[in-house]
Amino acid sequence: MTIGRRRFLSVGAGLAVSTTITAPFLVPKHYVSYRRALSRVAVLEAKEYSDDLEQLLFDGLTLFRLQIRGKSVLLKPNLVENLPGPVNTNAVLVGGAARAFLRLGAAQVTIGEGSGHQRDTELIVNSAGLEEQIRERRTGFVDLNRDEVVNVRLKANYSGLGSLWLPCTVLKSDFIVSMPKIKTHHWAGVTLSLKNMFGVAPGVKYGWPKNLLHWHGIPESILDICATVPVNFVIADGIIAMEGNGPLHGTPRKVNRVVLSDDPVAADAICSRLMGIDPTRVDYLNQASSFLGNIDQQKISVLNGNVGAEPTPFSVLPAFRGILL
Amino acid sequence: MYEEDVTDQRLESRVSRELCRRKLPDGGWSFFGSTQVSIEVTCLASMAMNSFAIDAVIRSIAALLRSQTPEGSWPAFVGDTEGSWVTALAISTLNIQNDPSDARERAFRWMLETRGREGHWLWKWKFKTADRQVNFDPEKYGWPWTPGANSWVIPTAFAIIALKQFTVCDRTAASEKRVRRAVGMLLDRACRGGGWNAGNSIVYGVPLVPHIEPTALSLMALQDEPKTPFIQSSVEWLKVSSSGCDSIESLSWSILALFIFQEAIAELQTRLALLMASPASIANNATLALGLLALRCGKMIHPFEVLR
Repeated sequence: MTIGRRRFLSVGAGLAVSTTITAPFLVPKHYVSYRRALSRVAVLEAKEYSDDLEQLLFDGLTLFRLQIRGKSVLLKPNLVENLPGPVNTNAVLVGGAARAFLRLGAAQVTIGEGSGHQRDTELIVNSAGLEEQIRERRTGFVDLNRDEVVNVRLKANYSGLGSLWLPCTVLKSDFIVSMPKIKTHHWAGVTLSLKNMFGVAPGVKYGWPKNLLHWHGIPESILDICATVPVNFVIADGIIAMEGNGPLHGTPRKVNRVVLSDDPVAADAICSRLMGIDPTRVDYLNQASSFLGNIDQQKISVLNGNVGAEPTPFSVLPAFRGILL
Repeated sequence: MYEEDVTDQRLESRVSRELCRRKLPDGGWSFFGSTQVSIEVTCLASMAMNSFAIDAVIRSIAALLRSQTPEGSWPAFVGDTEGSWVTALAISTLNIQNDPSDARERAFRWMLETRGREGHWLWKWKFKTADRQVNFDPEKYGWPWTPGANSWVIPTAFAIIALKQFTVCDRTAASEKRVRRAVGMLLDRACRGGGWNAGNSIVYGVPLVPHIEPTALSLMALQDEPKTPFIQSSVEWLKVSSSGCDSIESLSWSILALFIFQEAIAELQTRLALLMASPASIANNATLALGLLALRCGKMIHPFEVLR
């Protein structure tokens, strides 16, 4: 049987088109799954930032029966800029968490952050009040923007980046705790424990801000980073949160809650509900629920506290009105 | 005790010795004591020790030349193969040494070919029509932190300084065109009332506040441009902001910029000396080198000055 040139070309073109269309569905988007049968969450009440938070967190962490003894713990707060208002994770909460993990037997607790806009890390750490906490709590701070880095193949393929340079401190830590400030976000809808992990991408390679990742998609980059650097635990700062034009220029919103979870997707789902936001309508959270954790309320066990939404939903930019409950 | 340190340059010597002590075997420096050579730190340290620790500088320049990529750029750190914003800083470092190799020429060509992604016609169109939350003119672009991203203030400022220095005797049409466009970008993206943030002046209708480091670097990039009221107000903003700044990095950039604009820096240097009184406790080698540059500002060749 012979095939004419015209027929050969048309069959070839057809194959090329169909491969282009179907390939994205055939290539797996992620190579790992961290979903568990049941995720656990505790919602703690706290009306102010005080030294009492240490005991509150210790008691809250005890509910989870975490195996911390002898481990190196990395606390990853959200330190963005030296601006007034609830822009950064509160330093007193970070200090309290450091002390609570030491009391649980952690061999070492390190605070690490790679701020996205401000290159002067000393300026941010000082203005956030973290220096005092580091000194008093016998812990250390690592500038993740300038830490030694290694090239790591990504365990998900949403951004198309393939690999990222990541800080050794992050990769060597036994137990990573994402400590976001509960905020709305003008590009991503909400910034919670998953979005907070954007800060592990080193500025020394990706700049201030990490704009290359923006070009590859913020939601896509979040998914790839969190697949590659799994979050072991979440302590979300919602004592004073931010609504409106977050993450920098929103307005303070008192929620009086600290959310703890052993699953970042479950933590973000609960935080979203507290904000009056439907987590399934936040694109990257919905995608994350297929492999990074649980979004479904049936699969989230609340150990302590009340997860009811705030009586008045958080205000959001017009582009995100569709994500409100 | 501190007065004595400043007057007899003992503090500068101590900082210099500390920096030498932290030098890696191959002649470069890392940020925090790892063995991963950072080009940024190596450049700043080489600038800071120029004519004070000649052997160390010679070895650091050799390390710098070894780490240039075949395309002419420099990666952010040794081990990476992709060019980055530090290429401009490396050119400025080699400018001081009047390096006779073709390294600067190759880097210069790479710089001319590299641009912020918004400089592509497709993205210009997007930013002009569909994406207006961030107000800027995409016709005015500069340099990104890393290829494939937008132009940002700090890499653009470093690039302008490097290109102006390198072409001071021979400004080609191509380099002049890029420099003019980049100067336009800095002015377009400046904050209302003076100073610069990371890259934009307004996001979602909210004016951004200036930061010290991008403001100081932008002013140095504009040092030979007409002294407009806007530039003067940016200098004033920097003076006021740095007077209450207790961060070595930001204070050092302020000193370097204000000196070029012939503002008094003695008081700022006195405060910087206090902050750097214990060099061994400053973990970041880039901060140490930058602080040394600022302490020596006025006593040595200014690494970011553009001769006219």
